[in-house]
Amino acid sequence: MSSVQPATARSRRTTGRTRRRHLAAAAALALVGATLTACSDDGGPPVITWYINPDNGGQGRLADQCAADSNGAYKVDVQVLPTDASQQREQLVRRLAAKDSSIDVMSLDPPFVAEFANAGFLKPFDAQDEQSLTEGVLKGPLTTASWKNQLVAAPFWANTQLLWYRKSVASAAGIDPTAPDFTWDKMIEAASGQKKVIGVQANRYEGYMVWINALVVSAGGEIVTNVEAGKDAKPAIDSPAGDEAARIVGDLARSPAAPPAMSNAGEEEARSAFQGPTGGFMVNWPYVYSAAKEDVAGGGIAQSVVDDIGWARYPRVKADVSSRPPLGGINLAIGNYTTHPQQALDLVKCATSLKNNIAYMLDAGNPAAKGAAYDDPKVREAFPMADIIRQSINDAGPRPITPYYNDVSTSVQITWHPPTDVRAPQTPQETAQFMSDVLQGRRLL
Amino acid sequence: MTLTQERVAAPAPKKAEVSDRERSERRLGLTLSAPAFLVMVFVTAYPLIYAVVLSLYNYRLTDPAGRTFVGLQNYVTVLTDPLWWTDFSTTFIITVASVAVELVLGFAFAFVMYRIIRGRSWVRTGILIPYGIITVVSAYVWRYAFQLDSGFVNQWLGLGDYNFFGQRWSSLFVITLSEIWKTTPFISLLLLAGLVQVPEEMQEAAKVDGATAWQRLKRVTLPNMKAAIMVALLFRTLDAWRIFDNPFVMTVGANKTETLSFLAYRQNVTLVNLGAGSAVSVLLFLTVVVIAFIFVKGFRTDLSQVRGDR
Amino acid sequence: MADRKVSNWWTFWGVLILVWALFPLLWMVSLSFKDPATFRSSTPTFFPKTWVWDNYKTVFTDSLFTSALRNSVFIAVIATGLAVIIAMFAAYAIARMNFPGKKLLLSMALAIAMFPQAALVGPLFNMWRNLGIYDTWIGLIIPYLTFALPLSIWTMSAFFRQIPWEMEQAAQVDGATAWQAFRKVIIPLAAPGVFTTAILTFFFCWNEFLLAISLTSTDRARTVPAALSFFTGASQFQSPITYIMAASVVVTIPVVILVLVFQRRIMAGLTAGAVKG
Repeated sequence: MSSVQPATARSRRTTGRTRRRHLAAAAALALVGATLTACSDDGGPPVITWYINPDNGGQGRLADQCAADSNGAYKVDVQVLPTDASQQREQLVRRLAAKDSSIDVMSLDPPFVAEFANAGFLKPFDAQDEQSLTEGVLKGPLTTASWKNQLVAAPFWANTQLLWYRKSVASAAGIDPTAPDFTWDKMIEAASGQKKVIGVQANRYEGYMVWINALVVSAGGEIVTNVEAGKDAKPAIDSPAGDEAARIVGDLARSPAAPPAMSNAGEEEARSAFQGPTGGFMVNWPYVYSAAKEDVAGGGIAQSVVDDIGWARYPRVKADVSSRPPLGGINLAIGNYTTHPQQALDLVKCATSLKNNIAYMLDAGNPAAKGAAYDDPKVREAFPMADIIRQSINDAGPRPITPYYNDVSTSVQITWHPPTDVRAPQTPQETAQFMSDVLQGRRLL
Repeated sequence: MTLTQERVAAPAPKKAEVSDRERSERRLGLTLSAPAFLVMVFVTAYPLIYAVVLSLYNYRLTDPAGRTFVGLQNYVTVLTDPLWWTDFSTTFIITVASVAVELVLGFAFAFVMYRIIRGRSWVRTGILIPYGIITVVSAYVWRYAFQLDSGFVNQWLGLGDYNFFGQRWSSLFVITLSEIWKTTPFISLLLLAGLVQVPEEMQEAAKVDGATAWQRLKRVTLPNMKAAIMVALLFRTLDAWRIFDNPFVMTVGANKTETLSFLAYRQNVTLVNLGAGSAVSVLLFLTVVVIAFIFVKGFRTDLSQVRGDR
Repeated sequence: MADRKVSNWWTFWGVLILVWALFPLLWMVSLSFKDPATFRSSTPTFFPKTWVWDNYKTVFTDSLFTSALRNSVFIAVIATGLAVIIAMFAAYAIARMNFPGKKLLLSMALAIAMFPQAALVGPLFNMWRNLGIYDTWIGLIIPYLTFALPLSIWTMSAFFRQIPWEMEQAAQVDGATAWQAFRKVIIPLAAPGVFTTAILTFFFCWNEFLLAISLTSTDRARTVPAALSFFTGASQFQSPITYIMAASVVVTIPVVILVLVFQRRIMAGLTAGAVKG
C-alpha cells in the first residue's frame, strides 16, 4: 500500500496548485489520480500482505487462522499469484525490483530462492529463528531454503512425485512397479506391450524441467555445476547422466506408450490420460489421488478406476541406483523491503508450525515439510501413501540451486521440446552450448 | 510551423484586421489540442527514446550492479540470434496468412452486407460481435475447441488423436484462425465503407455496355475502391504484425510460435533483461516503420483521408 | 420474381456469416455449462452431458474475478471518458481551425495507431515503477487513453465535419465567443459522434491485454483479460477451463448488449473514422 503514497501526495499537490485550469482534461487526470491511488490507513494492527501461489483457498484460511491466533498483533491480506510457476516468479521479481514494501511474506517456489536471495530481495533469518524454522524439516526442502549458508526461506510444504500405475495393467504385463529395481525402461516396455500410455509432463513449461531434472539426478548427474560462479556456472548436462535422461525422454516420446498430445501435457493432461481407457502409468504429484476420488463423486469416472490405482516410489533410471524423485512445494520468505519485519516473521513461524503443517496438509492436500506431520493419524488416513511421500521428499533431488535458475531451466525446456526430437547425445550437447551462451549474454532466451 | 511563418510573412493589408481573430483562433486550436499532444508524447515518444538509451546497456533488473555500457552490442546479439529470425518468420507467416484470408473473406462479407435486404441488420449486428469480443477470450475459445481433451473439432472432423498444438504449422493454423475470426469484421466494415463510395452510375453504365459481373468487379468496383482497400490493408497488416494475445494464450510460444511482440514482452517483462529487451523493442518499432514506409511509398497508399488533413 | 430469388440468395449468405460469427460463442456458452469435474474426456462432445450452474457460482464467489471485473469496468469507463474529452477538443480544433502543429498532431495520431505496444512495455514498466503508479488504475488508464486517442480523434473529426457550422457562426455573430459557440451549439450537435466514439474506445480498453499483464501485479488493478489466466481448479495443477469460459461469457455480455443496442452507431463510427468519402 505504501508504494502508492508518493503518487497520492504528488497528485494531490498538483490538484491543489493548479490554478489556471482551462485545461479541464489535465485537471480531470490529476483528480482521478488522486482518488484512485488514495488508500485508507485506519490505524489498526498492521496488515501483512502475503503473496500466495494459487491453491484451493488453504493458504487464505491459514492466514485467517494465524491472524486470529496473533491476538490482534497483525492482520493478513492474501494476494494470489498466477498458476504457472514462471509467471509467479515474474510477478514477484517485478514488484521486488521496484523495491515494493507491500511484499511482506511470499510463497516462493524453491528453485527461485537463490535468484531472489542473490538479488537482495529476501530478508535472511537470524541463527535463532533458523534453528526453530528448520527443526524437523525433511532433508529435501531443507537444501532449497538457504543461500550462501544463510536461511533465507522457511520450508512450508513440500511436494514430490510418485509413480502411479493401474494395477490391472501391471499384473497383465507381469511386472511389479513397487519392486526396488523398477526402471523407466521396464515401464516403457510394459506399457508398449499392453498398448497403454505413460502420463508425463512434457509441455514446454517448468513441469517438463521437473521431469528432466529428476531423470538426470536419478542417473547420478547434474544439469549445471559450479553454480556459485553465477554467469560462469558450468553446464553439466552433456554427460552420461544427461544422455541417459535424453534417451528415456526420446524413447518414450517415440514409443507407443507416449500419451496423445504428450508435447502439450501438463499435470492435468497426464491425469486425464491416466484415468482414461488407455491409462497405464503416470508420474505425478500426490494431489492426483484425491482428485480422482473427487471425479468419482462428480460422476466422471467409476469407483473401479480409483480402486485400480496403485502407487510406488519414482522409477529408477539405472536398476542399481535408487531414484531421486522430483521436489516441489513452497517456501515462505520475507520481503527485504517490508515495513513490518516482526509481524511478517510471526506469520511465517505460525504458518510453518507443525500444527499448521498438519492442518494445511489435510485442508489443501499439500504434503507437509516437517517429517513428524506424517505420523498424524488423520494424515495417515487421508494419505494412505504417506510413508512413501515422506521418504521421497527426504531423498528428493532438487533442481539446480543457482541465481540464474530461470535461464538454466528455460534453456533446457527450449532445447528439449518437442520431446519426439530429443536424442542422445545431440540434445544434451545442444543444451550445454545454448545454456552457456545464454548465461554469457551471447544468445537470447 | 511553416504555416505560421507563411502567414506572418504575408504582409497583406487586409490581414491586419483579421489577424487578431486569427491569432485567437490559433491559440484556441493549440490549447484544445495540447492535452492530446502532451499525452501522446508522454506515453509513446518519451518511452521510445528511453528504450533507445536502455538498449545501449547490459542491464538486468535483478542484477542492477552489473549495469554496463555496451554500445550497439545488444543489437548485434539480437540480430545474429536465430530466435529473432524465427520469431520474425512466425510473425510474417501469421501476418501474411491472416491478412490475405481476411481480405478475401472481408470482401465477401462486405458484398453480402451491401446487397442483402432481408436480415440486413441481423448480419450487421452479428458481425460486430467478434469485433467487440476480448481477444484473450477468443483465444481461449478456439484453443479449447481444438484441444484434445476438451475440444469438439477432432471428434467432428474424425481426426482422432491429432494434436493441433503438437507442431508448428498446425499451431500456427489455429492461431491464425482465431485471429481471422476476430478481425475479419473490422476489415469487412472498412471495405463496406469503400464499396458504398463506388458510384452506382458507373456500375449501371458498365451493365449497359454488357460487362459481366466479374468484369464489373475488376474494372469498376476494385479500381474505385483502391484507396479503401489499401488503407484497410495497411491497418490490418500493422495490427497483425503486433499479434501477442493469441500465441500467448494458445501455445505460450512453444513449437516456434513466438511472435516479435511476444519476444519483446518476454525479454522486458519476464526476464527483466531491459538492455537486450529494449533493443528488441526498438527493432520491433523499426520493422513497423519499414512496413508503413513500404505501403505509403511502394503501394502509394493515400493516407491523407485517414489523417483527415485534407 | 428474379429479384426475390437474388434477394433470398444474399440472405442465405448472410445466414452463413451469422453462423461463422456466432458459432464460437455458442461453444463458449456450452463449455461454461459443463461440469468442471467431468468435462475432460478422450471423446469430448460439443454440448454438456449435464448442464450445471457451478462454474458461474464459482466465478462470482471468486474475489479474483469480481475484483478484476470491478477494475475492468472502472478503468475502461474512466479511460474512455478521458479519451473522449481530450479527443473532442483536438478533433474540434482539427475540423474547424487553422493552427500551427495541426499536421504534426495528425501525423502523431497516425503513428500511434500503428505503434507496436510491445515496444513500450519495458520502458513504461520502468517509468511507472519510478513514478509509483505501477499496478494502479491510473497506470493503465494513461496508456489506454493514449492508444485510444487516434481512433477517437479521427472518428470525431469526421463527425464534426458533417455538422452545419453556419449555426456556430450565427452564434458568433450574435456575440458569442468561439468557446461559447462550441459549448452551447456544437456540443449538442456533436453528441452522437461523441457517443459512438465512446463505444469504440470502450471496446478497446475492455479488450486490452498486453499492457494489462505487464503493468499490474495484484487484484488492485488487474483487469479481466489479465485475470483469466489466474484461475485455478481444486488444486494448483488443475486447469479451470470451465471457469474461464464462465468468466468469458460474463465479460462478453456487455459487448453483446452494446452491439445489439448500438449497431448502427458502431457501424457508422468504424466506417467514418478510417475511410471517409
